[in-house]
Amino acid sequence: MPLCNKNLTPLQRRSMRLIGGVLLLTVLTNLSTPNLPNLFFDMFPGLAHFVSSHLDAHSGHYSVLLVGLLAALSVLPALLAVWVAARYLKAEPDEFIRSLVVRALLWGFAVTMVGDAIAGVLMASYSRPFPISLLNADLFFASTGIAFRLVLRSYR
Amino acid sequence: MKNCLRTLRAERSWSQADLAEKLGVSRQTVNAIETGRFDPSLPLAFKLSKLFALPIETIFSD
Repeated sequence: MPLCNKNLTPLQRRSMRLIGGVLLLTVLTNLSTPNLPNLFFDMFPGLAHFVSSHLDAHSGHYSVLLVGLLAALSVLPALLAVWVAARYLKAEPDEFIRSLVVRALLWGFAVTMVGDAIAGVLMASYSRPFPISLLNADLFFASTGIAFRLVLRSYR
Repeated sequence: MKNCLRTLRAERSWSQADLAEKLGVSRQTVNAIETGRFDPSLPLAFKLSKLFALPIETIFSD
């Protein structure tokens, strides 16, 4: 299988590890909203209860500082992902792989924007809020990963 | 853009992986260039030219 783990260059392996860290951070930042799907909540059901009872945005117990901190924390995965991608693209010597990664990133952005647009229409139509913007990072990472596989497959 | 990379490689009994290693790129890159689905940059075209000891225009054509 091309570009499976054993075929990755040290640079690609290091970048994958960093992206893994960013993904973990994305899941962690989702902790700020107990209603979002979260691996940690599935593993530790008590955690969801703890978070919702202590950090309930609707209860009015949030301090401005805490809200600001959580908002800033949710930005971190996006900024780190941009940093990892930029660092990788700058160092990747293989121009073909670089072009594939750029195309996959563009597909990731496209899918994220489409998701936002659809969620926006649904929210407006049904007057029901859905925190899609908090899931943007999750959607972006998943769609970029799938897009990379598909783009690579198209060259076989 | 067309190229005769596959023929040149076959003449030397190199696999795609061998050529990729000599060029410092992935096997996927060599495959994409050979099939004409990816046009290499000028530095990579020069590398190919140097490796096969042929002018670029002999390897690549419109």
